[in-house]
Amino acid sequence: MMELAPIFTWIHDLLLSLGLGPTWTDLISQIGLAVLVFSLLCIVALFLVWWERKISAHIQQRYGPMMTGWHGVFQTIMDALKLIQKEDIVPAVADRQVFFWAPVIVFTCAFAAYIVIPFGKGLIVSDLNIGILYIIAITTFTIIGLLMAGWGSNNKYALLGGMRSAAQAVSYEVPLVLSIMGVVMVTGSMSMNDIVAAQSGWAGFRWNVIFQPLGFVIYVIAATAEANRTPFDLPEAEQELVAGFNIEYSGMKFAMFFLAEFVNMFTVSAIATTVFLGGWNGPFLPSWIWFLGKTLAMVFLFMLFRWTFPRLRVDQLMEFAWKVLLPLAFVNIIYVGVMSLWLKW
Amino acid sequence: MTKAELTAHITAGFTGRVQVLENNQPEPYFIVNPDDLVAFARYLHDDPALQMTFLMNLAGVDTGERFEVVYSVCSYQLKHRLLFKIQMPRDNAEFDTVMQVWPAANWYEREVWELFGMTVRNHPNLTRFLLADDWNEGFPMRKGWTGTDFIPLPDRG
Amino acid sequence: MAEELRTEDMTVNMGPQHPSTHGVCRLVLTVDGEIIRDCVPVIGFLHRAIEKMCENRTYAQCIPLMDRFEYCTSMSCNWAFCLAAEKLGDIKVPERGEYLRVIMGELNRIASHLIFVGVTPMDCGALTPFLYTFRERERIMDLFEMTCGQRLTYNYIRVGGVAKDIPPEFIPKCREFLGIFEEKIRDYEKLLVDNPIWIARNKGIGIITPQLVYDYAISGPSARASGVNFDIRKNDPYSIYDLFDFDIPLGTNGDSYDRFNVRVNEMRQSARIVAQALDQLPDGEIRAKVPLKFKPNPGEVYSRIENSRGEMGVYLVSDGGPKPFRMRARGGSYNHLQAVPHIVKGLKIADLVAIFASMDIIMPEIDR
Repeated sequence: MMELAPIFTWIHDLLLSLGLGPTWTDLISQIGLAVLVFSLLCIVALFLVWWERKISAHIQQRYGPMMTGWHGVFQTIMDALKLIQKEDIVPAVADRQVFFWAPVIVFTCAFAAYIVIPFGKGLIVSDLNIGILYIIAITTFTIIGLLMAGWGSNNKYALLGGMRSAAQAVSYEVPLVLSIMGVVMVTGSMSMNDIVAAQSGWAGFRWNVIFQPLGFVIYVIAATAEANRTPFDLPEAEQELVAGFNIEYSGMKFAMFFLAEFVNMFTVSAIATTVFLGGWNGPFLPSWIWFLGKTLAMVFLFMLFRWTFPRLRVDQLMEFAWKVLLPLAFVNIIYVGVMSLWLKW
Repeated sequence: MTKAELTAHITAGFTGRVQVLENNQPEPYFIVNPDDLVAFARYLHDDPALQMTFLMNLAGVDTGERFEVVYSVCSYQLKHRLLFKIQMPRDNAEFDTVMQVWPAANWYEREVWELFGMTVRNHPNLTRFLLADDWNEGFPMRKGWTGTDFIPLPDRG
Repeated sequence: MAEELRTEDMTVNMGPQHPSTHGVCRLVLTVDGEIIRDCVPVIGFLHRAIEKMCENRTYAQCIPLMDRFEYCTSMSCNWAFCLAAEKLGDIKVPERGEYLRVIMGELNRIASHLIFVGVTPMDCGALTPFLYTFRERERIMDLFEMTCGQRLTYNYIRVGGVAKDIPPEFIPKCREFLGIFEEKIRDYEKLLVDNPIWIARNKGIGIITPQLVYDYAISGPSARASGVNFDIRKNDPYSIYDLFDFDIPLGTNGDSYDRFNVRVNEMRQSARIVAQALDQLPDGEIRAKVPLKFKPNPGEVYSRIENSRGEMGVYLVSDGGPKPFRMRARGGSYNHLQAVPHIVKGLKIADLVAIFASMDIIMPEIDR
């Protein structure tokens, strides 16, 4: 079975044998790992863009991209290449610094979350003991990027989009965290590895979703809002705000927002998998296949949402978060607390 | 109401100030003095037997000798309809707005003002409408108007 | 003491190149955050001077211009103009011609409502129904193409009748379409009408009261959704609509939700009319003998038909010559857009988009 730790040790030993000091060895191997995860995620994001286009096409009785490669698999790579070549336009009235750093922050935060996600047995970059807390903190950081994009563009639509995204993310963060809290309460640890390990019973099917279905539903709804997906895609509602916060972006900066969006979707799906769907647990197949399969199933669910539902209005969105999801999340926590004391989960 | 009934009712109700225009169309047609316009509109709108609540159309016409404004009105409730028009001299065309009776007249009147150059008295918002903001080639719907883009079609056959 | 926080209203130019203004409408919005305080429509971006051009063309040459008057329902626009010209010229259209007009007009109404049923959810964020409705619309376009060779601007209805007879394969194809259509309408309803998000977005939003209908001369499905029972096909029948059996769908609340449902149900009724017309379709002439250089009697006429967006009226003045002396066409959207500011004040930007779509406003009809 593929594991990250032996590879890591091997590189480490190799560098040591070349006569480098331990500080440099650590640094180089860490960077190597980061590059590995980063490139893997880029491929995942490119794949997801293509997949979404194919899924939407088939839902809508179209073919979708068909020309580049088998069923257009290289379409997104071509699109990315095109976007890289495009002129980078900065509006004259934009706040240049803010405008420049916004996509960088969004992009970095989207990828930084993957440090603590266990892709398979032993396939984790760093098993922080506050893994869940770290992930929530770092994904929330994206909002600052979106707000900066909205503000820095000096465009009214972008500003409205940025405001919407901030309001939305702050509201939905609360039920999201509370829904995950149920699992943390049962597991007694915030480490992602511990959460996965706690779900390894029943031949790998002792998933938290069985015990906390309500928590899972709350998580999925809040995560849809976190990832700015329909029916909660208000920050970039093109029918209302043309394109929302990224209206003024072009070229590579636009591509960064675009890829970050898909990476975010993959992140929330990966968290759902880890926290509620047993992570990489599963019989027979390699653990990373289980992880990938479950995560892609979640992604598929989000894509189905997008191509089926209309969009909510901004006040309805807020109402739903504070008046429906939040009380439900508290109910879930009380339920988990009572059950874990009573039934000793 | 049928055409004959409508004609009779209105000539009786708005005595002396309305002139019937005979035609072979299914709806009656009246000519009103521009000064009586608002009163006539109010009468059509408020008379319980007429209830002309629906201003279907308002069209300016340049007949060459004078300007006309033709109102087509209808009743949502009673389903009958009629036309009436006002006639004004070409050089001093002014008429009152009927917006207080039919608010829908707002844009129609703006259009008449802009394309024909008739003045609409008491209209709250006579500003550029269909034409470009920097339009300065006169009133294009007037007969005999020529502008830079205007090329008359050759009359074939 | 800290400086007092100051907020101010923001002016947003929505359009002319905004994805959901259905053409090139510009709405100058004054917004307080997301709440609309004021809305001023600015029109004229699509002004093509159709009325002036008609004064310079013969009646036959005017018909293609009327296609462009409102390109979603070109048939009805042709029809309204021809009806006015026929009234002036005292022309009796042969029976088969009338039937073909009704078939085409109603199919065109379905096609137009299909665009509406696709675009309105799209403006609320649901992209998929659009592709579904265009799939069905494609079949209607095929029928039109089969008949007159055109898919958008038909120039099919002429003064005195119609341009061409339908080909023999038209009737089976049309029946096939009508056969599957009811099921497809149910699909759209399943996707939207019972969807809680759709209901939350549209129910009670953008209410048009009957008083607003009267004041702003709102007509067609938008008026009927407010419970104003007024359909020209029933109340002032033109052509041969008095021969068919159909209902007028009415709404009760006058909100966006009702406007959508009224149009969906209207498609059902139109399909009923087409089916009846196909059953009763007589043989015979399709067009009365009208000279190429048609000269109607001098006079004035206002004729109106029920278009898919409201009342489509044509006021025509003839001086006895081969060209219209004055033509003023009236489309429903002209009045609907005028009423929009009165409906949207105090609502959100998202509501404005949904209401704009639900009133089925289309710009060429307004700018002409």
